[in-house]
Amino acid sequence: MTFQDLIFQLTSFWASRGCLIQQGLDLEVGAGTSHPETLLRVLGPTPWNVAYVQPSRRPDDGRFGQNPNRLFKHHQLQVILKPSPDEIQRIYLESLEAVGINPRQHDIRFEEDNWESPTLGAWGIGWQVMLDGMEISQFTYFQQVGGIDLSPVSAEITYGLERIAMFLQKVDNVFDLHWGGGRSYGDVRMREEVEQSKYAFNRDTGIGRERYSAFHRSQFDETFKFGQELLAGGLLLPALEYCLKCSHLFNLLDSSGSVGVTERTAYILRVRQLAIAICKQYAAQVTPEASSPKAEP
Amino acid sequence: MDRELLLEIGTEEIPASWLPGLTIQVGQALEARLKEARLSLDEPIETYSTPRRLTARVGKIGERQDDREELVMGPPVSAAFNADGQLTPAGAGFAKKQGVAEDAIERIATAKGEYLGVRKHHRGKTAVDVLPEVLSGLLRSLTFPRHMRWDAELADGKGDLPFGRPIRWLLYLYGGRVVPFSISRSAPAQHGLVQDVVAGASTYGHRFLTMSGRPGRAIKVKHFDDYKKRLSENFVVIERSERHDRIARELDAEARRRGGRVASALVGHAILEEVPDLVEYPVVVSGTFSEEFLKLPEEVLSTTMIHHQHFFPVSNDHGKLLPVFLAVLNMEPEKPEIIAKNMERVLTARLRDARFFLESDRKKPLDAHVERLSTVLFHKKLGSYLEKSARVEKLAREICTRIFVRPDLADHAAAAGRLCKADLATDMVRELTELQGTMGGIYARESGAPEEVWKAIYYHYLPVGVEANSPPGKEQLGSAAITWAAVSLADKLDTVAGMFRAGERPTGSRDPYGLRRSAQGLVRLLVDLPELTGLNLRITLGQLVDESGLDEAFWSFMMDRVRFVLEQRGFDTRNVRSVTHGAPAALSPLVARRKLETLPEFTDTMEFQQLAALFKRVKNIARNLASDAPDLGGTLTEPAELALATSVNSLGPVIEGTVEAGTGYRQAFAAAATLGPSVARFFDDVMVMAEDPKLRDARLRLLKRLEGLILQLADVSEIVPEEK
Repeated sequence: MTFQDLIFQLTSFWASRGCLIQQGLDLEVGAGTSHPETLLRVLGPTPWNVAYVQPSRRPDDGRFGQNPNRLFKHHQLQVILKPSPDEIQRIYLESLEAVGINPRQHDIRFEEDNWESPTLGAWGIGWQVMLDGMEISQFTYFQQVGGIDLSPVSAEITYGLERIAMFLQKVDNVFDLHWGGGRSYGDVRMREEVEQSKYAFNRDTGIGRERYSAFHRSQFDETFKFGQELLAGGLLLPALEYCLKCSHLFNLLDSSGSVGVTERTAYILRVRQLAIAICKQYAAQVTPEASSPKAEP
Repeated sequence: MDRELLLEIGTEEIPASWLPGLTIQVGQALEARLKEARLSLDEPIETYSTPRRLTARVGKIGERQDDREELVMGPPVSAAFNADGQLTPAGAGFAKKQGVAEDAIERIATAKGEYLGVRKHHRGKTAVDVLPEVLSGLLRSLTFPRHMRWDAELADGKGDLPFGRPIRWLLYLYGGRVVPFSISRSAPAQHGLVQDVVAGASTYGHRFLTMSGRPGRAIKVKHFDDYKKRLSENFVVIERSERHDRIARELDAEARRRGGRVASALVGHAILEEVPDLVEYPVVVSGTFSEEFLKLPEEVLSTTMIHHQHFFPVSNDHGKLLPVFLAVLNMEPEKPEIIAKNMERVLTARLRDARFFLESDRKKPLDAHVERLSTVLFHKKLGSYLEKSARVEKLAREICTRIFVRPDLADHAAAAGRLCKADLATDMVRELTELQGTMGGIYARESGAPEEVWKAIYYHYLPVGVEANSPPGKEQLGSAAITWAAVSLADKLDTVAGMFRAGERPTGSRDPYGLRRSAQGLVRLLVDLPELTGLNLRITLGQLVDESGLDEAFWSFMMDRVRFVLEQRGFDTRNVRSVTHGAPAALSPLVARRKLETLPEFTDTMEFQQLAALFKRVKNIARNLASDAPDLGGTLTEPAELALATSVNSLGPVIEGTVEAGTGYRQAFAAAATLGPSVARFFDDVMVMAEDPKLRDARLRLLKRLEGLILQLADVSEIVPEEK
């Protein structure tokens, strides 16, 4: 099964289970959780089932294309089920069968692994799903987002697509994966990994440390300020985008070693304040009272 | 079977580390709730668990609640009857309210006088009527390290039912019949795919395995024996001990088949205790990895296997690791070799990563990593780990020089102090945090640091356990024992005192910085200092701690830690309190331990108990001595007081000598005990608060001297046997 076939199979499985198929957020984010289809949709009472592939950038994980398992950018299949169905674990296992993983021939475990994102004021309880000793998914019951208790509770399933594809194709190096159409993962992405890693760590770029740092700092400040202005104007979705851009800019400052320890905390705090303010305002607009007349189709 | 109670709470996977405690809780909670419900337990409670179920069974419980007598108290008799002996409106109202005839009212004598009272007899309800309450009480009383909300509610008026993981089914049988019970789902979750959890007669087997039918289907059971048998046919071993033993046996056999044995020195107990709680049906498989990885430090190899994969390393007869691992599956696979192959690939990828980190870390000496600590935050008020390293370096040097009086080792201790956190900036520790300290030690060793330095780094997080034999041992420490002690104390002191100064004190179950553990490690090191380092020093807490910025809360926290460590050693709580009285800063944990080692030999003797029983009185009376009272001496006359004075004068030097020397507490306690009868006689024969002020002061002074003498050993008034 090629990498793209895996994506087709999983998305069509979830579509058949009543999920909307959305597209990944067209911004630089570290995980599918940042997408408003997760971050905002889990707030309030309206049921929502959605799945999408989120290309996820983690500057710190960049390895210049040299590491067989680590990537600057990887792909997550994100599924949100709100409320969480009782049979969620069974449905998840059926999704694995749908891509050819027979649970009766492998060792599949749900091992404790809770999730927390201080920047988003969010946390959840759950597991990492282990397939023959390899983590292939993260499974979380969202408890809070933006510091707000969620009711109902949503289930989030995040599939590590490269990992699962490597397992299915019995490949030890991610760049050897068959992507589709006779092309390997390396053909498609190697150059991007090399260049993005150099950029993330500011190595062999010819750009001075000062310049690199000053540019991203001013970008952060401007973006943050504009995000606050958007929030003040009540434009929550654009404000969230600016907040996420800040988060990514901070990650770059961090991976390139441009921030000291006290500053680091201050940056995180600023992103957190903006994110929480956005979530709070959004939640106030989707309370059962506010949303029931409009939300019903 | 007709009065058997069987409960199974079917859940999604409960974290392995919670299960042992949770299983005990279920038994205790069930017992307490049954008692509350006045249902008799005619057979003991049995409990079982797997990651997906908590089970409790009682062979026989009462068919109905015990009947209950209730005494309802009314107004006082004085207010209930008028002068003619007729009921007043208050008295009549009470009878009416209780719904009884006036002649059913009794007069009840109480400490406050006579009151009206009515005795009511309540007939117990049948078990089936009360068992639903028992279950809701039980579900409410279980506590988890972390609770989650899962849109569930109970109809007990308290609403939301948080739990450890979502409950998926309830099996609740009494005498083979289902006890009606249900957990409802909160309104916002109302949805076709979200259902109430209704108690039934069904259990569920292994997710993927069964002897017949479809795996994971509902299985109807009638009673416990049936339940156990059906589960076993469906690949669920509900006895933890059976899973544990099967795992141990199969690991052993598989290791031998591979020409080695489980590397138990590396494995320790933790993983073998954890794995049984990760599986319902354990099966052991083995795999191999390339021999080239045996060049990795053993610590790295075994941590990668154990902590990340729950794999068991295998060694040969000489303790040398083999390129083999064992894994416990929750599965009886058709082709185990496929799973083993997949596991080999995962392990190989991890080992390759580890080798990559090791090589990249080694490009720089450990010294160079210290600089990067400026980007790792220790605490916002206490700065980065770079700043912490500088403090630990200074403190370790000081402890070595000033307290241990080993200036010859001070440079080594300081070097280890400066480097001990450096590995937090290495790729290896960022990846395998369990190896903090260990990696720093390995890197220091590789760069040629002497044993006094590298081992001090390697072991500086220890001791963690408070038991006398918890690691590190003296033979492990080798020539680094003293430098290690200096660094370990310095690091823990800096953390505990620093965090208190920054306002981060532990409260209740919240101790995010692990201060209790750090403080206990510190105390444990002082308690066992001679055995661990050969230094026979009675170090007090005050000697170690710079008191500035620390308040009462810090000292009482430290005192509690000292008491905790000593109690964990099995010393009696009252004895522990008696030797840890007074100012915490003046306390030497080692002295406290030495006293406790001999104290129990005396506490049961008649003389000692006499002294203990009277000591509170001694303390209370001695308080009356004015601090400026002149010492007039020679005023005592009564034989009993002269005898006590003679004993105090002759035994005083024995006790004081012992306290001075710090050894021979047996002799000192024996001396103290002999004072018991003299003190008893003194209180029998002598009136301390005599009219004559001179005589009174002389007597008070004698008691004051006695008090001071005994307190140097222990506040024996803490040891008085509890009243029967």
